[in-house]
Amino acid sequence: MACFSIFVKTIKSKNLSLMQLIIQNLSKTYSNNVQALKDVSLTINRGMFGLLGPNGAGKSSLMRTIATLQEADSGSISLGDIDVLRDKDSVRKLLGYLPQEFGVYPRVSAETMLDHIADLKGITNRGERKEVVQGLLQKVNLYDARKKNLGTYSGGMKQRFGIAQALIGNPQLIIVDEPTAGLDPAERNRFHNLLSEIGENTIVILSTHIVEDVTNLCSDMAIICLGEVVAKGNPNELVRSLEGKVFKKSIEKAELDQYREDYEVISTSLKMGKTQIRVVADEPLLGFETATPDLEDVYFSEITKRQGLAV
Amino acid sequence: MLKILSFELKYRFKRPATWGYWAAMFLLSILLATNGSVSIGSGSSEKIFVNGPTQAGAFIAIMCTLGAMLATAVMGVPVYRDIEHKTQNYYFSYPISEKGYLMGRFWGSFIALIFIGSGILMGHILGCWISKTFEVGNNAERVGPFNILYYLWPYLIIGVPNLFFAGSLFFSLVALTKRVFVTYAGGVMLLVGYLIASSLMTDLDNKTLAAIVDPFAINALDDLVRYWTVSEQNTRYFPLAGNLLWNRLLWVSVGLLPLLYLLFRFDFRRFLEAKAAKGLFKKRQKVAKQSLVADKIDLQRILAINPTTSSLSGWKGIKTMVGMAKLEFRNIVRDPFFIAILLAAALFMFLDMQYAGMLYGTDSLPTTFLMLETKDSTFYFIVIILIIFITGEVVNRDRTFNFHLIADALPLPNWLVYGSKFLAMIGIMLFIPVIGILCGMAWQTIQGYFDYNLPLYLQGYAVPVLQWTFLTMITFLIHTLVNNKMTGHAVNIAFWAVLYGTRAFSEYNYSLLYFNAVPTGAFSDMNGFGYLTNTIAYLLCWGGLSAVFLVIGNLFWTRGTETNFKNRWQLAMQRFRPMTGALLSVFTLVWLGAAGYIYYNQSVANRYRTAEENRELAVEYEQKYRKYYLRPQPKVTSVKVEVDLHPKQRMMDAHGRFVIKNKHNRPLDSLILNVGSGFPHYTMSLKINGVEPKKILNDSIQRFYIYKLPQTLLPNDTAVMEITSHGEFRGFRNGGESQFTVAENGTFLNHGDLFPGIGYSAQSEMSSERYRKKYKLPIREFDTPARTDSVGLKNFLFSQEGDWITFEGTVSTDPDQIAIMPGYLQKEWTENGRKYFTYKQNEVMDMFFNVASARYAVHRETIKNADGQDIKVEIFHHPTHNKNMSHFMAGLKDALKYCSANFTPYQFKQMRILEFPRYRTFAQSFPNTIMYSEDFGFLADFSDPNQTNYAYYVTAHEVAHQWWGHQVMPSFTRGGNNIAEALAEYSSHMVLHHAYGRDVMQERLKYALDQYLRGRGSESRGEQPLMDNENGSYIWYGKGTLTFYALQDMVGEQKLNGWLREYAQKTAFRQNAPFTTTDEWYNSIYAQTPDSLKYFVEDCIKKIALYENKVTNVEATPLKGDQYKVKLSVETKKLYYDKTGKEIAQGKTPNYIDIGVFAEETKNKLGMKQKVPLYLQKHKLTPGKHTIELVVKGKPIKGGIDPYNKLIDRMSDDNVTKVEVL
Repeated sequence: MACFSIFVKTIKSKNLSLMQLIIQNLSKTYSNNVQALKDVSLTINRGMFGLLGPNGAGKSSLMRTIATLQEADSGSISLGDIDVLRDKDSVRKLLGYLPQEFGVYPRVSAETMLDHIADLKGITNRGERKEVVQGLLQKVNLYDARKKNLGTYSGGMKQRFGIAQALIGNPQLIIVDEPTAGLDPAERNRFHNLLSEIGENTIVILSTHIVEDVTNLCSDMAIICLGEVVAKGNPNELVRSLEGKVFKKSIEKAELDQYREDYEVISTSLKMGKTQIRVVADEPLLGFETATPDLEDVYFSEITKRQGLAV
Repeated sequence: MLKILSFELKYRFKRPATWGYWAAMFLLSILLATNGSVSIGSGSSEKIFVNGPTQAGAFIAIMCTLGAMLATAVMGVPVYRDIEHKTQNYYFSYPISEKGYLMGRFWGSFIALIFIGSGILMGHILGCWISKTFEVGNNAERVGPFNILYYLWPYLIIGVPNLFFAGSLFFSLVALTKRVFVTYAGGVMLLVGYLIASSLMTDLDNKTLAAIVDPFAINALDDLVRYWTVSEQNTRYFPLAGNLLWNRLLWVSVGLLPLLYLLFRFDFRRFLEAKAAKGLFKKRQKVAKQSLVADKIDLQRILAINPTTSSLSGWKGIKTMVGMAKLEFRNIVRDPFFIAILLAAALFMFLDMQYAGMLYGTDSLPTTFLMLETKDSTFYFIVIILIIFITGEVVNRDRTFNFHLIADALPLPNWLVYGSKFLAMIGIMLFIPVIGILCGMAWQTIQGYFDYNLPLYLQGYAVPVLQWTFLTMITFLIHTLVNNKMTGHAVNIAFWAVLYGTRAFSEYNYSLLYFNAVPTGAFSDMNGFGYLTNTIAYLLCWGGLSAVFLVIGNLFWTRGTETNFKNRWQLAMQRFRPMTGALLSVFTLVWLGAAGYIYYNQSVANRYRTAEENRELAVEYEQKYRKYYLRPQPKVTSVKVEVDLHPKQRMMDAHGRFVIKNKHNRPLDSLILNVGSGFPHYTMSLKINGVEPKKILNDSIQRFYIYKLPQTLLPNDTAVMEITSHGEFRGFRNGGESQFTVAENGTFLNHGDLFPGIGYSAQSEMSSERYRKKYKLPIREFDTPARTDSVGLKNFLFSQEGDWITFEGTVSTDPDQIAIMPGYLQKEWTENGRKYFTYKQNEVMDMFFNVASARYAVHRETIKNADGQDIKVEIFHHPTHNKNMSHFMAGLKDALKYCSANFTPYQFKQMRILEFPRYRTFAQSFPNTIMYSEDFGFLADFSDPNQTNYAYYVTAHEVAHQWWGHQVMPSFTRGGNNIAEALAEYSSHMVLHHAYGRDVMQERLKYALDQYLRGRGSESRGEQPLMDNENGSYIWYGKGTLTFYALQDMVGEQKLNGWLREYAQKTAFRQNAPFTTTDEWYNSIYAQTPDSLKYFVEDCIKKIALYENKVTNVEATPLKGDQYKVKLSVETKKLYYDKTGKEIAQGKTPNYIDIGVFAEETKNKLGMKQKVPLYLQKHKLTPGKHTIELVVKGKPIKGGIDPYNKLIDRMSDDNVTKVEVL
């Protein structure tokens, strides 16, 4: 039995390795004239893909569109040879989706609900369903609370329930929208491990506004701002492009406004009661220390260019 | 506390549920205000304003019982909400006291509940306004002047305390038990308790107890206003005193108790903590351990478990769909809203059941069909509202819980999700009848009736279940398209309000235009559900259309977050598959096919006319042909008919051979025939003396024909007129297929259905004065000719086409039926698979005959009449309707004997009662035959001797018509019918008088008085005295009864009957004109009346005179022995009115009026309540105040003036009062 499962898995994996999610020229304007997506094009391969952007950048819109829950005005999305925008049923069979915000049926237990979802996802064998549900409950650390009604769950527990449901049924495309919101550091860690384990064989799209998550997990990423893709590629390469261009300085808080006028300040932070600013410049600056760029700098420099100071 | 209160209020008024409940109350109240009959006391009196202080108050009180049910939902949740929404975490930390918390929550919710209740007031006010302004509904003329206090006062003293009691009870139950469920249980208990209490109370003599222990105070109000007069009901507020005050104090205190207990005992922290803390703490400990286990689980292995089916099509899909439907079904039936509303529906059903089939205040047996019919009123509407709301919940369920982003991304085809929701609703459709049927069977059981007819219950719910299903289908579409729950509810409610409103209140009645209109016939034990083709056709039509809606709804099913309609349209187009197209075409075909079939039946095979067209037709008829009114025509003297009935084919063939005679003193050269047959397709051919006469006028639209007689008919000449006719029904007509005339089992045809009438029939004229004005037809004060009119005097009132006739005939019918015509059965035989019966009437009779046929059982007896003659008495009845034979039989016997002994001999040697289906409810007297509706006593429950035994009473009345109507035939002049009706009613009351005893007659007399007084109030053409009254049945029944009953009481029964006998001897079977008039009738009585009483005959027959008699005080002083000296203070007045009801004079002269003093009531030998007079004498009293002193033997309990209500008294309830023993 075990052999058989592995065999099946191998075949699927082969198929998958060829699978790419290709988004081309995707645009979407809501009826209130907010342009959520502007000509977005991305190619996403197997592995973890980080989608980074400030609140309201269009991340969720993009993810919902990929998750078949929203129409696009123009453009196309394909998953392998599936036309995502048209053949929604085929996509849904391969999809695991964790929305940014979701509710639960308050008077149903996690176990019952997951079992129900497993059934709906097509795992008809009762024994297998049980194995999946029990396994996932343990994986997300809800096993002890499995009999409790979802209505009594805390925010973190609910989030973990959401993760579990997204993983049912061997999804080949996993979309997780701000998954670690509300999780404590330990849970967040465990979830990251879980994701990276899954990411070995599937496409995992992770949307977040926490740069660190992407740094830790993703081999590929895009920064999205005001509905546009402003940067994409391997995080390390993106960081490398800022090599020698980031400088830092400790200043008094009162001076901040002046510095903002004079320099391209991408971030400010407090260090020992003093304000430390980071600026981007092509040439070394007098009075500034050269800083080692990180992904956060990439993110902030892109955001700042378009939206003004983010932090 | 105020902060919590204001939070609670803000929260409440943001909740759609609050507005939803309010809207439900509001809409239901509008509906009931315009069309309902929610009332207490004598609220049915048409003079009582539905928006007066009494009836508006009653409405509020009754509707607030429904509000009390809503209280389960409104008052139960506020405390529970804090547990459910886990606000306990921070509510702990606020500086609030327990009392503040509880009181804030309580009063906030209670104010919301009061607001919801205000929907009742506003709905009723608006409903009354609508009905008055637009003259819609059946209450339009009963809307009086508006006064906001008429609403506020009863709401304050009845509604609000009731809501408080229920609210506090439910609030405390939840706060103490922490379970919402107990409130529903509490609601059910309250309901059941109320029902049991009020059914027990009807048996209780102690009305005071009943008035006090009813938590809703409805019994108290009923008791309070029972004897209020119309004007009091229209002006007086409920006094907060006596039983009502005690009731209110009791129940407000009962409401306060749990609340006070809660205030002083409630442990806030324990309440909020207990539940949450337990689980959390334990879990924390385990978390660490669990993490280790978690890491050992092989994720890859779990993930490797693949979906085994690649698609959810086919069987697997169906299975999944059913599984999801089950879940959804469970979600619905656990919804508090659903339970509360369904409970309310059940409550209304019980309220309706109490009155099901009630006639003359007498209960009917709770037969299954009566139980079934209670679902068609309020229950039906509540279910519709329920379905609309539940469908909205179901469609938006995932969205409501914000689970839709997960659910919508699951690999499920649309149809599966959509189908599962629809399937769950079908489950609900099947669940609702279960409730209805259980209610019905529960009521039957309470009443001790165990003849449950489950198959009938199931059949009875088939059509509504389908209608509700169709309703669900279109509601699905609307909710899907609107894509917002609250807006969806609003659009749906608006849609149905408009649809039902137009249908109910406008004249546009073409059923095909009204979605979900399904014509159904009433159920009859005799004829079952009757004709069903139209029902099926309509079900197919709306089923097809609904299925189209359902498929379209599926195309537009919302998945994900897309709201832009353009995108949704594109998406729908994307989803369109060949299968969709195929389904849509099939359903469209079914819909259009059925619609076409219906149109063909209603508008091609049959003629459809709008109400306007019908009116225009009547106008044209009168304008064109009124000139032939009472134009001299030959009269029928002898009738011989052959009738072939085909009940299954709804068809008849008839041949009539009529001998006609010119009874005028001038030659006649033409014959006028008018067809008034109930057959929509009717053809006939005519021969006079074997020759087909020429048609001079042929109006097949008005069905009015004039023929030229082949030979001019000279005075006293006769001719033979032969008519061959054929009548049939084809398919069905708009508005349902009436089975009044030919039913598969239970045919009842008048001679007018078989043959045309001779001459112009004034009955087809438009009678409504409103429309006569509109169409510029003359307004006539009287319809019939004056009593001196030479033409009127030459005609019979009931048949202008013939005087006395001889009758014989043969009728054939289906082999398993018995067919009956007037006369004695000569022979019966079977031929060609049909059953034949030949009848011959040996005596003459008026030309008023009928044919009936059904699968009858026959109850036969031979009785000896007063004159020693044997009379064969037969009751032809439905085989299972044999319970009340003895009552009908007693009525037949007693009335035959009374009339034969007191008036003239009975003209026939037999008497029959024939039962016909309950499509019509009346009894009608034909020569030696009484036609009796199935609904008129066969299934009544006459076990309570104090409820009117109308089988006995009505039978006696109809038998008396064999004298008054069939022997004494009034002429076609003004007032004629009073002779027949008033004397028949008098005779039947004398039969009752002898059977029951004088001292129980007050009940009947008061009924007659009430009938008269109520009738006056709704008189539209002006009240006439008995002498001239043409159409006022309240006059000939109500006033007629009182007049003659009082007259026999004054002059003596033997004397009055002697005068009537003389009158009957003079007029019975009068062969030649002038036929009798009210003048002759009046004079024969008046001439012999002693001078001292002549005033009374004049007052009653020629004038409109009403007494106002009243007792103000009765005192008694014990004398020695068992004697008492009684002093009565009474007041009497007599007022004369004109026909508009205006007072024109006051009586000055003395009148004879009973003065009575009574001991404790007893029961007569039949178990009826009977008065025991210690003194009962007529006193000659001049109008004004009198003090009367007399001595009685025995302890006086009550005393007064005209205690038996023999006189026409405007206020009948102040005649008797309790005796004060000094």
